[in-house]
This record gives sequence, C-alpha cells and structure tokens, in this order.
Amino acid sequence: MKRTALAILLSVLALGFVAAQTINVLLWDDPYPKALQQMVPEFEKATGIKVNIEMLQPPQVYTKTSVAVGKDSSDYDLVAMDEGNVPIFSSLMTPYSTWPAGKKFPKTDPKTVTPAMLDVGMWNGQLIGLPINGNLYVWMTRKDLIENPQYRKDFKAKYNYDLGVPKTFQQMLDMGTFFNDRGIAAGFGPFNGGPAGVLGEAIFMWESYGTTFITFANGTYKVTLDKDKAVQGMELYKKLMTISPKGAETMAHVERQAAFAADPKGVFSMFIWPAQIAAYEDPDKSLVSGKIVYSAPPTGPAKRVAVRGTWALGIPLASKQKQAAAEFVYWWASKDIASRLVEANTVPARTDALTDPKFAKSKPWLAAIADSMKYATARPRLKEIAQIQDVVKKYWIMGITGQMPCPDAVDAIMNETNAILAKAGY
Amino acid sequence: MAAPLLFLAPALVVVFAVLIFPILFSLFVSGFNWPLSAGMGERSFVGFGNYVELVHDPEFWNSLRLQLGFIFIAIPVELVLGYGAALLLNREFFGARVVRTLLLLPVFFLPIISGMTWRFMLQPRYGPLNTLLIKLGVPEVTWLSNPTYAYAAVIIQDVWRMWPFMFMLLYAGLTNIPNELIEAAHIDGAGFWRRQRSLIVPLLMPTILTALLLRIIDALRIFSEVYVMTEGGPGSATLLFSLFTNRVAFGYAKVGMASAMAIFLLILSIVFAATLVRRNMSLDVLEEKAGGR
Repeated sequence: MKRTALAILLSVLALGFVAAQTINVLLWDDPYPKALQQMVPEFEKATGIKVNIEMLQPPQVYTKTSVAVGKDSSDYDLVAMDEGNVPIFSSLMTPYSTWPAGKKFPKTDPKTVTPAMLDVGMWNGQLIGLPINGNLYVWMTRKDLIENPQYRKDFKAKYNYDLGVPKTFQQMLDMGTFFNDRGIAAGFGPFNGGPAGVLGEAIFMWESYGTTFITFANGTYKVTLDKDKAVQGMELYKKLMTISPKGAETMAHVERQAAFAADPKGVFSMFIWPAQIAAYEDPDKSLVSGKIVYSAPPTGPAKRVAVRGTWALGIPLASKQKQAAAEFVYWWASKDIASRLVEANTVPARTDALTDPKFAKSKPWLAAIADSMKYATARPRLKEIAQIQDVVKKYWIMGITGQMPCPDAVDAIMNETNAILAKAGY
Repeated sequence: MAAPLLFLAPALVVVFAVLIFPILFSLFVSGFNWPLSAGMGERSFVGFGNYVELVHDPEFWNSLRLQLGFIFIAIPVELVLGYGAALLLNREFFGARVVRTLLLLPVFFLPIISGMTWRFMLQPRYGPLNTLLIKLGVPEVTWLSNPTYAYAAVIIQDVWRMWPFMFMLLYAGLTNIPNELIEAAHIDGAGFWRRQRSLIVPLLMPTILTALLLRIIDALRIFSEVYVMTEGGPGSATLLFSLFTNRVAFGYAKVGMASAMAIFLLILSIVFAATLVRRNMSLDVLEEKAGGR
C-alpha cells in the first residue's frame, strides 16, 4: 500500500516537473541583467514559468546566437541582440507585432520605450525586438575637481572662463590639459579597447565634427565620410590622448574604471555607458562615488552627439515557447520592474521610469541620460560591421597614437571600408 | 579475412569519427561561402574561392608571419633555457626534488590565467613591472600599447610558461644517458662544450626533437593567452594565425574562410611534423647518427 502511494506521489511530482514551462534566455553580462536576475524568482512564482538565464560577454552573445538560433531550430526562446546585430538576426526573429498577448502581464506598448531607444529594435520598418535598456554615451566629470576654489581661480586666470562641466570639445581639451599638466588628474579617459568601442569613439568624433561614416540610402551603403572633418576629429582625439593616463592606447572598460575610480589621481572627464554607473557609484569599489557630475557629452564643432549601445530582446521564430518568452519580456518591461531596476542603479528603456521624479535626487545620472537621448546617434548597422570596425580600430589607433599621420589613417579607413562594401555587393 | 577487419572496426569507426571526419568536414566547409548565422544569407559553393581570397589578404600573410616568428623565436629560447636548467639540475643536492618540482609550476598555469596575469603585470601605473621601473627612476613603459613590445611580451609570456616543459622532457632524457659515457669522455679529456657537442646533444637528440615537435604543434594552436593579453593588438601587431582564424570565424562570421585557414594550419603542422620526424627521427637516421659516432 505504502509502495503504491509512493509511486503515485513520485508520478505526480514527475508529471508536474515535466509540465512546468521552461524558457532559455541568452543575455549580455553586465550589472543590468544581473540586477534583473535577482527578481526572476518572483516572475517564476507568479507564472510557473522557469527561466534559465545564460549571460555572456557581448561578443560571445553574438557568436552564441549565430550558432544556436536558426530558421528551423533554436536553443533559446529569447535572445538579446546588440543594436548593431539586429539586421543580422532580423530574419530569424518574430516581429514584435505578432508576439502573443500576455496572459499574466499585458503586452508592452512600444510607446513606453524612449523613442531614441525604440529605433534600436527596428529593421526594414518592422519592430524586430523590444529595446530593453537605455544605454548611450553619458559624460562624467569630477565634481571635486571643478568645485575646488583654487583650481577654479587658477583655471580662470589661465583660460579666462570658468572651470566646470565641459560643454564643448575645446573646453574639454582646455580643462583636461589644465589638470593633466599640473599633475592633479589625467585630463581624459579614452576608450581604445574592443573594435566596437573604438568605432563608437570614432563615430562620436566624426559626427561631432559634422560627418557621417556610412550612410544607407537607395538600398545600399556608402562611405560618406568628409575627409577634412574626419581628420579634424581624429586630430582632436590625438590631442586628448596626450592628456590621458599611461597605457591609454589600449584602455578598455576595466582600465578606464581603474583609472577613473581606483587611481587616487583619477581622470577629469570621460564618457561612460550608463550600465556601468553602478560600479562607479559603489563606495566599496570606487574612490569617486558621489563625486561625479553627469551630463550629456560636450558639443563638437558641428553638433552634440551621444553614441548609442542598446540591447533589444528578440524571440526566435523557431522558439517553441513564444508565449512564455513574451510573458517574461512583458514582465521585465513593466513599469514596476523598470523602477526597481532604476533603484538598482541600472538604466531601463522605459521613459516613465527614467523620468520618475522620485529618482531625481538619488539618481542624478538619469537627467543626464534623458538629456543625452536628445543627441542619440547609432553606429552603422550592417552585416559587415565586424570587419569594418576592425579596419576602423586598426587605423584609428595608429592615427591617434602617431604611428600614422591622421590624413593617411582616414584614407586607409575609407579605402578599406569601401573595399569591404564593394565586395559585399553594395 | 573478415575477422581482423571486424576486430579493427570499432577502433576504425572511432578514429574516423573523431579524427578523419572533422578534417573532411572542414575541407568540405572550406569550399563554401558559409555564414556563421542563418540570418546572414544562404550558403553557396565557391570551390577554391576562399583559398584564393586568403592568399590575396595581407592580414592573412601578416598573421602567418607573426605565427612563424613566434614559433622560431619562442621555442628556441625555451629549448635553450630548458636544456640549461636540465644540465644544472641533473645532479643530486639538498632540496633538488623540490626545486625541480617548483620549476614545473608555470606549465600547470591555465593559458588564460597566464595571459591575464601577464596583462596585469605589464599594466602601466598599476602593474608591478612598471612600479619597479618607477622606483628605479626609469620611465614607465606601456608594454602592450607598443606593437614591438606587445609582440615581445606575448613571446616572453610563452617562454615563461613553457620553458619548464622543455626542461621536464630534457631532464628525463638526460637522466637516461649512462654516467659511464660522460665519465669516459671526461677521462678522455673532453671539456664541457666538447661533451655537449659530441656526446650529450647527439644522445639527447630524439628527446629534443620530440620536445620541439610537441611544442611546435602546441605553438601553432596558441590562442587564449594571447587573446586575453592583447586580443591581437595593438592594431594587428599580435594577431597570430589562430587569433585571425577565430576573428574570421566568429567576428566576420565567415566559417568557410576560417575552415580554409584551419586546413592551411593543418597542412603547416603536417609539414613541420613530417620534416622533423622524417629527417631526424627515423630509425635509419638515428642509427646512422649513432654509427657515425
């Protein structure tokens, strides 16, 4: 009798285990999805859907998606796509308009997503994935440096205007040089790490000088860089390199964070991706927590630019758990979760969470992010971008470090990019 | 007639599945324009197109030059260091076993940990090497930002990690040389260098060649330590062949082209192996060498 009861109990348990829905989710690894992961048990409890989250570094997310998501089968029910990769995976994803309605959570209205971010999920006039974070260039300036009365006095005496948050490239150079030459702090924190990041810096400079690298028009891509403006942008960056910390030629995020937040001297001013703000504001990890002023990036000679780097969530066409995956996204993109993600010092894509007055004081970077969004600029989005950004990185670094004259470096970038585009049939 | 084949069949199946099939499949893929993602378009047959494209790509030749340079610089240095240490430690003294064991430690470092460690050691401002330089009054050096220094750093890292491997094999070889031979040479008046040239090195040659062969094959596949140290940079200064293959496959999403590179690497490995084995390790040659003495 006991044996029979035990067998029945085990059968019921096994049936329940098999019946529970499970979704496999591929995300990028940074503080934002990590903060979300803490809340996932609540979703699982509310819906009975088990969520397996796999987090990888951004290049590996691209690789894993490439090999694991096909037209007929998919290892994942939900994947995060970096904005540059949306065109590559667009044909493998379920258009957002056909995502099922939520059973537990209402389908997210795309209008809740900040307009500057919504573009990220669009391809060929369709919303392919739902943008989920608000990632774009935000500027950081050391408050303790610009508020120091002695520095203010000395700076005014030398440059004849007030020390403060740099509003223009010239101010950024002047102030950075002031602090660097006096040995107070490094003047600037460049990004010379991975190819995608270097391309971001190049786009930032070129667009700020009024020239666009690659333009998509009449169904084709063309290099539209104005050489003179591009050289000017590169030359300014070269000057900024001279006031940057040692090893600036290869500085990636880790080195930038160490230089800005862990070095006693630190860095006067540089851009940051909002996803990383949490680390800079963590008093256990940062010497400058609470000492940073956030703003939109300084204006270049032509315009102000904030390079965008947002992720969109896509449901593969081949997923067998579309309903559950959509449910998870609707929960994630809800106002409640977005607000809690803001509280965790991360930046979701929802306008109402970013502009919520209750965060105005405690999260001073939110206003800067909202301001930066007015100047959001995308990096080129095409399938050959990996090759192109390698070319840009190679010659950009050679140009800004003096290994090659800037005009020659720009020529090389234009020629080799043209060759890649021609070979790809554009 | 069928019985032996039947007994051999399981082994043949395993060899085919794990050795022959992947090579044949790579060869097959190398004939296609084969995107990594189904979202990047259809596969199309291009014949030898990938190989033709490769030989016209300056980055391919650059990566090959760097790879061969790496092999021909790092491995001889490792050999010399390993041989020297083996000679020094081929005697008994207090703590000899401990010293010999400790010397092997770098070999057991995971390559990725070794790369990370060296990256941080060479860091400007924070790295111990630059801290030392600054304390000595020498200007700090941005090791991994300079193309020449970065390439040298990659080689030095490999030498640090792998010379004990050479030591290990050569020490084992040395212990097998009968002491009587060395003593006889000594009595005959052969000095240190003469003993090395005419006795120890020739007797150790099979071990040296085996060590070289293993290291060359290993060095052709070097990847993770260089990837974490420099990612192939600055520019393409440390973009070794394996790193370039990885970039083509997973960065540019050109699996067909990367397979062509893998086949090229395989051919290169076979050439190295065949040269070393056929010219120096065949029984005929070894007997001839032994007879010549």
